[in-house]
Amino acid sequence: MTDRDDLPEVNGYSRVSVLISTVVGLVVAGLALFWAQGFRIGYESLYRVNPSVEGGGIGSDWVFGNTIPALDFLIALIHAADVILGAFILVMVFIHWAAFQRLADQMREPGEDVSEAVAADGGSPNSGDRQGGDGA
Amino acid sequence: MSNLDHGKFTRVTTLFHSLLGLDVFLLFFTGYAIMFNDELWWMLTLMGGASGVTAIHRITGIGLIALVVFWITLQIISSTGRSNFSKILPAKDDIDAFIQDIQFVLGRADERHPSARQFAGYKADEVPLLSYIGKGVVFIFSIELTLLAISGLLIWSKTGLAAMFQTKAAAMAFVTFHGLLGVIMLMGVMFHIFEHGMHPAFYPVETKAFIPRSMVPEHHGDDEEPDTTGIERLSLSPSWRTVSTIFGAMTVIGIVSVLIGSIFDEGYPVPRELAIGGGPASILLTIGINLGMIVLGVGLVLSMYGNVLRIRWEQQLEEEREPPAAADGGEPQTDGGQPNTDDAASEN
Repeated sequence: MTDRDDLPEVNGYSRVSVLISTVVGLVVAGLALFWAQGFRIGYESLYRVNPSVEGGGIGSDWVFGNTIPALDFLIALIHAADVILGAFILVMVFIHWAAFQRLADQMREPGEDVSEAVAADGGSPNSGDRQGGDGA
Repeated sequence: MSNLDHGKFTRVTTLFHSLLGLDVFLLFFTGYAIMFNDELWWMLTLMGGASGVTAIHRITGIGLIALVVFWITLQIISSTGRSNFSKILPAKDDIDAFIQDIQFVLGRADERHPSARQFAGYKADEVPLLSYIGKGVVFIFSIELTLLAISGLLIWSKTGLAAMFQTKAAAMAFVTFHGLLGVIMLMGVMFHIFEHGMHPAFYPVETKAFIPRSMVPEHHGDDEEPDTTGIERLSLSPSWRTVSTIFGAMTVIGIVSVLIGSIFDEGYPVPRELAIGGGPASILLTIGINLGMIVLGVGLVLSMYGNVLRIRWEQQLEEEREPPAAADGGEPQTDGGQPNTDDAASEN
């Protein structure tokens, strides 16, 4: 690029910080993988006959279902969060949908005289195929 | 002189956004093919069944951790990142922007608040780094991604997971918890795609997330001081009304369906309470959840399209910046939207 005078000066990220962050990201991801792999235990130690559970025995844990109340609470909490935030997100969709309709009404209809129109990308207003690239 | 609409993303941010998007889409497709296996059986089969899907989910999960840690580190160690901290904190303007958006929809305000504005046009300098929606996205997605990464690591290994819990059903309940946590983000991403794909001035995709700010000239050549953003000077795309209506409906149906699905169809293979295959696995829910996945698919395509536009933009800029070859003795190519060098120098 020979001439960037009309392009803005932008405080970007330096190469060094990007490089350091990349290395840290990859190392932490690698360690996380290593840590998660460490959870593996031998199949031998799993699900033997379990006499301490009432009516215990092989497969009895499926019958009893989830026996940790804290987990039940967590799931109920997340269900509530899903519903509340879901409703909020829906409100946001509707507000934006309606706002977009109003904004579209402020714009020129397709085919209207565009002699004074400017393109959103700062390109040529008369070549409609260059606006946002939606030439189809 | 007047300002031109421009994005706020740096080159690194555009790249990070695209990679994060791709990774999260893959996590959604694989994760929800498991959770909603009744409705998305074809997706599960397409990605190699249970083993294929979980393998892709794990690989992209590690990718997500790398990306998130990369971003946190970059924000802490770079002065650009640190200087942005104060700009992401919620402020009174954000509440005002939300209220004004409602007023705008009801016809009681003439324009959107600067903190809500996506199309800033001539008033680009009034627009803060993040809109109120942008701040919400940053906060909710940060919390979600952190919790999802931690709970994801805890359920990484099936045997390790089982060892942590009393029963297999309890272990599966924790997997369910992980899936339900992601539903918030799944719904949020659908809205995000609608918001940035269907804005009438940017339709079909808001390129501000893909073309870095450093590549967009900020000033337009005319001298008038405009009163408006200038949106009334833009032409609406002929397909916008139809496509935005269909896509808006798909977004709403998708969000409602995954929400209903998450309540009634929560567990795999066994739900929290032992009711195998429980819930209204009806044809409507199946269609709705699949529509939601199509919304995500459109988002993936738009993200790729945004990158194609960036490459085309770069090439065009490159061509225009080359010293005029003018082998034929004619004028070098000019573009109405790009101010010439003299204008820009005098403006700066």
